[in-house]
Parts: sequence; structure tokens; C-alpha cells
Amino acid sequence: MAKADIEDEHRDVGSDTITEPVSISLIAGRYLLFDINVVTYLRRTHNICGVLIGGIPQIPQQNVFLGLPLELLPEEARLLVEKRVAYIVDDTAWHKPKFSTLSGEERRRYLDSLREAGLKSKRAADEGAKKRQAHGLAKEAATRRAKGALKPDSDEKDIPDSAKEVSDSLFGDERPQSPTPSTISVSNKPHAITPTTTYPPLSLPDIPTEEAKPPVPSSYPLFTHLHSRGYFTTPGLRFGCDYTAYPGDPLRFHSHFLATGYGWEEEIPMLDIVGGGRLGTGVKKGFLIGGAESESSTEGDNVRTFCIEWGGM
Amino acid sequence: MAPSVDLAMLAAPPLPEAFHPPHASAHPLHLQQLASTILHNLQHQHDWTLLSIHTHSESTGQLLPRPVISGLPPRRAYIHPDEQVATLKLEHDTGTPVKQLPEGEWVLPTHLGEKWSLKQFAAIFDALDTIPPNDEIAHEEEGSVGRQWQGNNRQKRLLLATLHDDSTIVYYIMHDGIVKPRQN
Repeated sequence: MAKADIEDEHRDVGSDTITEPVSISLIAGRYLLFDINVVTYLRRTHNICGVLIGGIPQIPQQNVFLGLPLELLPEEARLLVEKRVAYIVDDTAWHKPKFSTLSGEERRRYLDSLREAGLKSKRAADEGAKKRQAHGLAKEAATRRAKGALKPDSDEKDIPDSAKEVSDSLFGDERPQSPTPSTISVSNKPHAITPTTTYPPLSLPDIPTEEAKPPVPSSYPLFTHLHSRGYFTTPGLRFGCDYTAYPGDPLRFHSHFLATGYGWEEEIPMLDIVGGGRLGTGVKKGFLIGGAESESSTEGDNVRTFCIEWGGM
Repeated sequence: MAPSVDLAMLAAPPLPEAFHPPHASAHPLHLQQLASTILHNLQHQHDWTLLSIHTHSESTGQLLPRPVISGLPPRRAYIHPDEQVATLKLEHDTGTPVKQLPEGEWVLPTHLGEKWSLKQFAAIFDALDTIPPNDEIAHEEEGSVGRQWQGNNRQKRLLLATLHDDSTIVYYIMHDGIVKPRQN
């Protein structure tokens, strides 16, 4: 696919402009994002991948491809909060008082926004149906024409039939013939939609200036160190480490490192270094250990890192 | 592992000239013994040359945290992936193979039973120069391919030698900082 195509698609998905800071929902101890535009924005602009954890309604019996919501690691949430790109909203605490007292203008606005979203979804569905119909008709006409080339005399009388029959659907032939093929767009009733957030997006809490930052594991300095160098990170469970580090978007690159964070004076058994180095080399990656220097007075994040690869002898 | 280990040699390992006698350094005896075991393995199993054991830092003159070995492997112990790409490209363009001369390496002797920390590794790297001293094979071919990944241009690295009680020794390349992995 041409690069321009991909970029066009990107622009489509992320067409709604995102204003920082974005809100991260804190639900049952998880940091979640429900807006696809925010998800793509954070990935594009801030190298934050997160993990999709939601089932896909159309294909619920698999867990290879997952959808919204996106769960952020505590490290990712903390980093976004520290860079003032995002802030944390405790969903339960916010929802309970807010939703029960929703009234007047605010309530009307909320209902309007639901209706608007429903109409949007309906328009999209209608558009899809129209496209499918046009496609079906074109295909039908092409078949007729091919037949017509063999039997030119039967061409004329076949056309009215084909206009009525939209046979692209699986059960198209058993459907009662409708007088007009465009019954689908007759009603203007908006679709019923289930909003992914329980509060109106417009009435989020004021951004707290000094808020509690998400608690993070001790490997956080290594995480920020890698992130500041442009690395993308994903959870490292698959390789028995803290993070897998990618030199670019994980969709385009293989990862370079299995990264594990340690305290500056934390004891590291030699077997862990040998094991990590061996595993890393086996999967064409380097084993990276690192942590923040505690007594350093230098500028910057003063994180020291070491890469280990098999020596080949 | 080491099929050629000879009991007579173990009893009295032939020490190279540069090997410091035990009383000359203030390191505990077990660390000196560890270093000489690794050196022995490098010399006789891996055919390294120009081996020597360093007890003091070249730059500061201070006692190293433990004795560190330097030596010359029979062939290059490490080739940076970018250098490999550049070499392959050159070989493809010119049609003649590029000669890979070996480089001097640091070797850090460790035992499997030990526990290290980032602080200790940092102390070792800080005390060592990028390349071992008296690296007589410092081949100064100006403008040759791979110069930017060799000699003083290379990122600090050492060979982490880990000894097990059954005399198995494994060698791992350790870089100071982030160095992208080789595509073995």
C-alpha cells in the first residue's frame, strides 16, 4: 500500500483534534482509554502503545486481536501525567455524584450528544448499505452484460428485474421484493448507542494542578530513560523481562531489547545476567539492564544501562 | 567443554610474562585465582594472545575493584551490526572480502555464585579505558570501513566471563550503554 494511503487513513482516524491534557480513566486500579482518537494520538505523538484489552463484538471468540479500551501501564500513565499530556480521572468517584445530579442544560446537552452520536452511526451504516447496494447492482449489470453479449435479444427485458434485486446479500433472493430498493434509508431514527464513558465529555473535572501521581514499580527510571530516547515499549512478560523496547512503532519494527530495571545497589545474580543474555540472543535481541544512579549529581535522568549479548565463544 | 584440560597444566598453569605475581596486588586471593583461571581458559581453549591481568586502572592509577584481563582474540570478538552492514555493502560493491582484524578486548572474570549490581558494573566501566593499553594491533588504516565502530570510537565494552564450579566458562559481551543487538 502506498505510504500516502496509510497517512490518509491516519488522518481519518485521528481527524478530531486532541487537546492536551487528555483524561485517563482510573477504573478498578487500571488506567484505561476509551477514545480511539486519543489512543492513536498518544501512539503517534508520544510513543505510548498501551495494551488493547477489549473484546471485539463482531468476533468475540478470539483474543488475538483486541479492541478498546486500551489499558496503560502505570509507568505509561505516570509518564503522561508528569509530562502534563494527561491527567487521571477516578471514574467511580466522578460518576456517582455527577451523573445523579445531572439536570437542566447539562442534561439536555448530554442527551443531545448521545443523539448526535446515534445519528452519526446511522449515517455511517446507511452509507455502507448504499455502497454495498451500488456494488451489487454493478456486479449484476456486469453479469447481465456478459450474458447479453451471448444473447443480445434478452438484454432489454432483464434490466428492470436487476434493479429490484439486490443479490449481494446472503439471503437476497428470499427477501420479499420491495417496490423501491432504498427502504433502508427511510427512517431517520438515530441508532441506539452505548457510550464508552458514563459522563458527558464536556463536563470533566477541572484539571488538578497537583495530583497524586500513579504509583509505579522500581523499574520506572529505566522506562523513562528508554522513552526519552525514542524507544517504544510494550510489557515484557513474553520474554521474562520488564519491557520489550522497540526502536520505532512495534507495528513496523522488531524489538531490540529485553529491558529489566534494577535498583542501583540491588543484587543481580550472575545466573540472571547469563540467562537474560542467552534468551535475548536466542530471539535476536539484546538483554538490557539499567537503573538510576542514586548518588549521582549529574544533570539528566542519570540512568546507567548495560547491554548483554552472547559472546559467541 | 575443554576436552584438552590437562591436569598437569592445572596444577601449574604457565603464566604469561605480563601476569603479576599474587603478592603484587591487594586483591583477595580468590579473585586473583579467578582471573588466572579465566586467563588460562582464554589462552589454551580460545587461543587468545597478548594476555595480561590488570590490577590498577590505567587512567586513575587506583586499584581496580578486581583484577581484569586484557587480550587479543584470534578473530574479532564483536562486530557492530552497522559495521557488518557497511562491510557487506563494500564487499558487494568491490567483490573482494574485507579483512576483519581482531581487536583487543577487556575480560571481566566473575563466578556464577556471585551477585553483582549496576553500581559495581558502572565502577568497572568507569575505571577502564575504551581499549586495553598497549593494544599493539591498533591498525591505523585511515578511512577503512568500520573505523567508526572500532578502536577508541567504539562504545565501551567488555567480555563478561562467568566461571562455574565444573570449570565451564561462558562469555557474554557487555556494552556500557545502549547498543543495538547483532542479528545473529
